[in-house]
Amino acid sequence: MKKTFLYEDHKELGAKMVPFAGFSMPIQYNSVKQEILSVREFAGMFDVSHMGEFFVQGKQTSQFIDYILPNNYKDLPVGKALYSPILNSEGKILDDLIAYKLSDERALICVNAANIEKDFDWISSKAQNFNVEILNESEKYSLIAVQGPKASDILSEELALPGIESLPTYGVLESGDLIIARTGYTGEDGYEVFGSHQKIKKIWLNLIKSKVSPCGLAARDTLRLEACYPLYGQELSEELTPFDCGLKWTVKMEKDDFLGKESLSKVKSTKKLIRFYLENGIPRAGLKIFDREDNEVGHVTSGTFSPSFKKGIAMGLIKSEKKFEEGDLLIDIRGKKYPAIKQKKNFIK
Amino acid sequence: MNYNVPEELKYTKDHEWTSLNEDSATVGITDFAQSSLGDIVFVELPEVGSTVTQGESFGVVESIKSVSDLYSPLSGEVIERNEELEAQPDLLNDSPYSNWLIKIKLSNNSEVSELLPSSEYVKLQTEE
Repeated sequence: MKKTFLYEDHKELGAKMVPFAGFSMPIQYNSVKQEILSVREFAGMFDVSHMGEFFVQGKQTSQFIDYILPNNYKDLPVGKALYSPILNSEGKILDDLIAYKLSDERALICVNAANIEKDFDWISSKAQNFNVEILNESEKYSLIAVQGPKASDILSEELALPGIESLPTYGVLESGDLIIARTGYTGEDGYEVFGSHQKIKKIWLNLIKSKVSPCGLAARDTLRLEACYPLYGQELSEELTPFDCGLKWTVKMEKDDFLGKESLSKVKSTKKLIRFYLENGIPRAGLKIFDREDNEVGHVTSGTFSPSFKKGIAMGLIKSEKKFEEGDLLIDIRGKKYPAIKQKKNFIK
Repeated sequence: MNYNVPEELKYTKDHEWTSLNEDSATVGITDFAQSSLGDIVFVELPEVGSTVTQGESFGVVESIKSVSDLYSPLSGEVIERNEELEAQPDLLNDSPYSNWLIKIKLSNNSEVSELLPSSEYVKLQTEE
């Protein structure tokens, strides 16, 4: 089992550690609910050093990344980041990632921990015809996410670097060996800070002194679900194209070419992603979704109790031809069927 | 960590407590159970009049991220359920021994001998 550089610090804080994507990670420190509320109301932070960091550099960095992603990287300004899935040759989702344009000839790509090797092999195999070098630096970098309405004030003071507070959403800047981006996975304002293990550890320890709450994977998962962000392995998988799971907005079919484009131009979506809540009961991943005629039409991909929304909330995949307005769908929980109530926006705004 | 284990109650290895009263019993979850579960956000209890069986699931208790079965310490008929917990499931975190789940009319009094006294339940906790 791999450990992040902050492992001993988590243990000292009394974290409950669980295996996740080959790493021993903190699932919670004390109360999951308090961790969630700290991010919504003040500031919380997550050790997400298990995630993968690839650097792409060389004259054709922009062309190459634009080719491997369905989203538009070529026209992205330097100092901005881009969310995108990465597709296999069948147009199915291999992973979702963020690509940070550090300069015209250098980029950071941050991928899910469970997919580091798969992604690196796939990306590297597509680089022969480009003047680029691709490095997997995942083991050299630690990564923390500092999230919440006070994150900007506190992190600006801690780092004492110009441009942190004024960094736009999805902006990124590099200072020495730190890479700081205004990105996150909670639906709150906040930052992700990449750096050497020693430097990130120092920041982590100082932020604890500044009353930023350490938060575990349980809080992170609930926060992202409240914000309706998909998670690879739950909403996203190699069984699905971006058209099946709410990621059509990331696919720029007008681009000349990208990995998976040819297949995507031929497929029709078979599923769609829905968001809903229950008045009673808590929907959980794997539960079946039925229509009024008692036909099974899909399943819950992620579900939790939401401390912010104060109800059981979920996302699910259903057959694309199925209608979902009021009262069309029911969730089977332990043999009882509960009506799903459609949620148009996310669960925090 | 030290958990509260009142001496006058009987326990199960599944972390339920029982208070016996002639032919009926009151059932709840222990301090250890509520602490392990974390913030309790949902409780599902059986209807009054339904029957429960020793060692079998009679309901669920859910935290933000997890679902756990409740196992009945004894067999019998449900004569009361704590409706207050539907609106305020977190009462179980605040005070697990004053916020009971169900009351049962016992169908087999001899099952009582299988329950654990507090001393044995304390031992079991330290093993976990």
